[in-house]
Amino acid sequence: MPPWLDDFLYAYGSFIYGLGVNAILGLSMYAVLALGQLSLGQAAFMGIGAYTSAVLTVRFGVPFPLVLCAAMTTPMVAAALIGVPTLRLTGVYLAMATIGFGEVMRILYINTDYIGGALGFSGIPQKAQGWIIYGLLAVILLGFISATRSKLGRAFEAIREDEDAARAIGIHVAAYKFTTLLISAALAGLAGALNAHFSSFIGPNEYGFDTAVTILSFAILGGVTTPLGPVLGAFVLSALPELLRPLHDFRLVFNGLIIVLVVIFLPRGILGFRVRRVG
Amino acid sequence: MLAQQLLNALVLGSVYALFSMGFTLTFGVLRVINLLYGFYVAAGAFLALVLVRDVGLPLWAAGLSAALATGVIGMVCDTAVLTPLRRAKAPELASLIVTLGGVLLLNSVMFLVFGAEVRRFPVDVLSQAPISLGTLQIGEVQLTIIIVVAIVVTALFLFIERTRLGIAVRALAENPDAASLMGVNVEAMFIGISFIAATLTAIAGILIGLNFNAVDPYMGEPLMLRAFAVIIIGGLGDIRNALVAGLALGFVEVMTAGYLSSNFKDAAGFAVMVVTLWLRPSGLFGHSVVRRA
Amino acid sequence: MKRAVLFALAAAFGFAQPALAQDAIKVGAVEGLSGPIAKYGVPIRHGIELALDQVNAKGVIGGRKIQMIFEDSAGQKEQALTAMKKLLAVDHVVAVFGPTLSNEMFAAGPAAVERQIPDIGTSTTANGITDIGDWIFRTSLPEADVVPVTVATVKKKYGVKKVALMYANDDAFSKSGFDVMKAAVEKQGIEIATIETFSTKDTDFAAQLTKIKGLNVDAIGISALAEAGAGVVLQARQLGIPPSVVMFGGNGFNSPKVAEIAGKAAEGFMVGTPWFIGKKDPLNQQFVAAYKQKYNEDPDQFAAQAYDSLFILAEALDRAGSTDNTKLHDALLKTDHKGVLGPFRFTPHRDPALVEGVVVLAVKNGKFDTLE
Repeated sequence: MPPWLDDFLYAYGSFIYGLGVNAILGLSMYAVLALGQLSLGQAAFMGIGAYTSAVLTVRFGVPFPLVLCAAMTTPMVAAALIGVPTLRLTGVYLAMATIGFGEVMRILYINTDYIGGALGFSGIPQKAQGWIIYGLLAVILLGFISATRSKLGRAFEAIREDEDAARAIGIHVAAYKFTTLLISAALAGLAGALNAHFSSFIGPNEYGFDTAVTILSFAILGGVTTPLGPVLGAFVLSALPELLRPLHDFRLVFNGLIIVLVVIFLPRGILGFRVRRVG
Repeated sequence: MLAQQLLNALVLGSVYALFSMGFTLTFGVLRVINLLYGFYVAAGAFLALVLVRDVGLPLWAAGLSAALATGVIGMVCDTAVLTPLRRAKAPELASLIVTLGGVLLLNSVMFLVFGAEVRRFPVDVLSQAPISLGTLQIGEVQLTIIIVVAIVVTALFLFIERTRLGIAVRALAENPDAASLMGVNVEAMFIGISFIAATLTAIAGILIGLNFNAVDPYMGEPLMLRAFAVIIIGGLGDIRNALVAGLALGFVEVMTAGYLSSNFKDAAGFAVMVVTLWLRPSGLFGHSVVRRA
Repeated sequence: MKRAVLFALAAAFGFAQPALAQDAIKVGAVEGLSGPIAKYGVPIRHGIELALDQVNAKGVIGGRKIQMIFEDSAGQKEQALTAMKKLLAVDHVVAVFGPTLSNEMFAAGPAAVERQIPDIGTSTTANGITDIGDWIFRTSLPEADVVPVTVATVKKKYGVKKVALMYANDDAFSKSGFDVMKAAVEKQGIEIATIETFSTKDTDFAAQLTKIKGLNVDAIGISALAEAGAGVVLQARQLGIPPSVVMFGGNGFNSPKVAEIAGKAAEGFMVGTPWFIGKKDPLNQQFVAAYKQKYNEDPDQFAAQAYDSLFILAEALDRAGSTDNTKLHDALLKTDHKGVLGPFRFTPHRDPALVEGVVVLAVKNGKFDTLE
């Protein structure tokens, strides 16, 4: 490998890993949005997965594959607990409830010294390699794509378009919603663990409201009619601050402007026009 | 000391209530989570600051002008950003995203214009010596907050309950299509509501700026989250709910900090919110929003 | 196909670089230059650039000029990490300053260690910074060195027996400062009546302060960044906590903002610091005047530390006689510099060795001055 490429990969490696992890987060958002649920708990679940994985690796020396499994299951437990009452809610209520949950978790992290409290958790070894991240992303993406092409996909669409009608024709709406919530939590937790293991440091303020809204914007930007949408949205929005780096002072201005323009002129997301009849 | 803490709660709760009432108006009527409100808070505070410091207006005049000016800004921004989405019948969530982009953009512009440093009101704009009422001590700022909020809230209620416009607003909140059939000019109402809500928000921002004597571009963020909690606890649709829930949230936070542990002051409100959702999702006073699963 | 894409991306990033002088020595800096952190990152940048003017007038290692490359982290650890890696691997800098926040240093510092390039933290004061690795240096005096001096001085002057402590619990810097403050207070045998917390973004502390008022303490110690902390001080007096209850703070309070925001309430507020703007020695006064002239505002501690740090680096480069990283590393260890913060040397663990510069200040008539 020529040295300039080696350097380039080194410099932008963590950036490229970040893109992959954010794509997984986008898919976690897709899982719930595909059913028309606006659950914003992904940041909180990501935090649970991140801290779980950090503690297991650093304090208990657990092998990485097991750590990843644990990072997926612990948020699922949390999701199951809050899922039952909140699934009865609609629209932006669910959003606000899950944001509130995230804030409570954030304050819990700050006050727990075992995981570093406000000082965060540092010294996490770099175990998340590029091939692991993108391998997992590919598997998850394929899983979603094949799901949407099958009967499941039609059920998702039915629920998204009109929940009551779907129920009327016998689709077990509550079960679908609950399951996708669990899947969304698992994926977010996985993303959290991967992020922890390439940035070597995690802190409680990374899993709050700002992050939750950012993850949401991945999915909105890309559109939720196909699983590729949130992935693309994640790539674009994550890359923006870096690509705009030369613009220095104006970066955030452009970032915001781009989001506004895309949403106004492409309200169904970048891939929205590629709506395909499933099946 | 309990009396003093209750007073503290009243002050804090008043600000929460004021902001939440503005937010609930837009949320209840326009059905959007409008993150731009976080920006309007700072805009109002900055405008008031400039008017007091550089133009030399007395505080009440500066505050009033800044609030109204922010109302206009709010009107313009909301319309520019939300109307295209309404026309395209975009999903509800799109407005969340576009206002997220908008607030990022506007906060950054404000940051470029005003710089990183935190600004403060001139020191003598409000006396800092506490006034004694029996065993209670209250700062002039705190007294100002309570009085201003009381006036504004009363005015708002009179407007909503007694004027024709106010009735139209309530009709719109209940059922936009029916209201339109009854002759309500829906688009004009939306614009008007944006104006009112942004004005309320600006007043909240100015009061906070005074209480804390510091104004910076990002000061609206914490209020936004509190507004979510208030709307859920109080229930959607009625500004009376927002008022009561805002005061209640102030009460919960102050009592938690004063008698339990200040570590969990911020979490207390959200914990109550989550519990409310668990037990009574429509909020303490609101209409039912639960769909039978 | 993949290589072509990578090549195109590399070229795109490459074109974004400014043109360079041939024998300039490239030094990087990762600082929070946008967003809420800018109020710390921007003075650091100013301090470095002010020093740069003077250093480049003479040049280093036989007349070569230092070229500073600043990258913005916006206070985000991921961006700090990427910025650091870019400076190391794409710009091939010989040394790096920053990042601004301790959080960011924990994330980005390991990269400098991995690449064996000296990284000088000019503003990070949390515990464990230099533990990150052998290539991490720190010129900012940690709280652990300053706060005990403050506490001892306050006790001696005011005979404090009972204290209330407050701190911002969602910020690594404030929490770390609090840990040090608590330990120092306990070591002095002072009773802690209560510990209250708040969030950096809070604007109302009435609940905590009312509780403290009821406990009849002799003093209140606060660990927080300037704006949040100044708000606490202001409200404390507004709620009628009398001036006989003295207040003191950690490192974050060493800023003109405190008196600005808190106004009269700040009178008598004490803070220990390795630097303050009124220090009378000519070197410092010259720095203050030059800074004011160039930037039209007063320098703060961040600017002062950054200013000294660039000189320290320049001297080390001269001492090493080359940009070789090992030579530079060893030359840094031999630093013996007299700067606006006073005399400076590194410990073998690469932290500041001398605390003689620490002085306790108190606000008098709206400005910090030495405590009599």
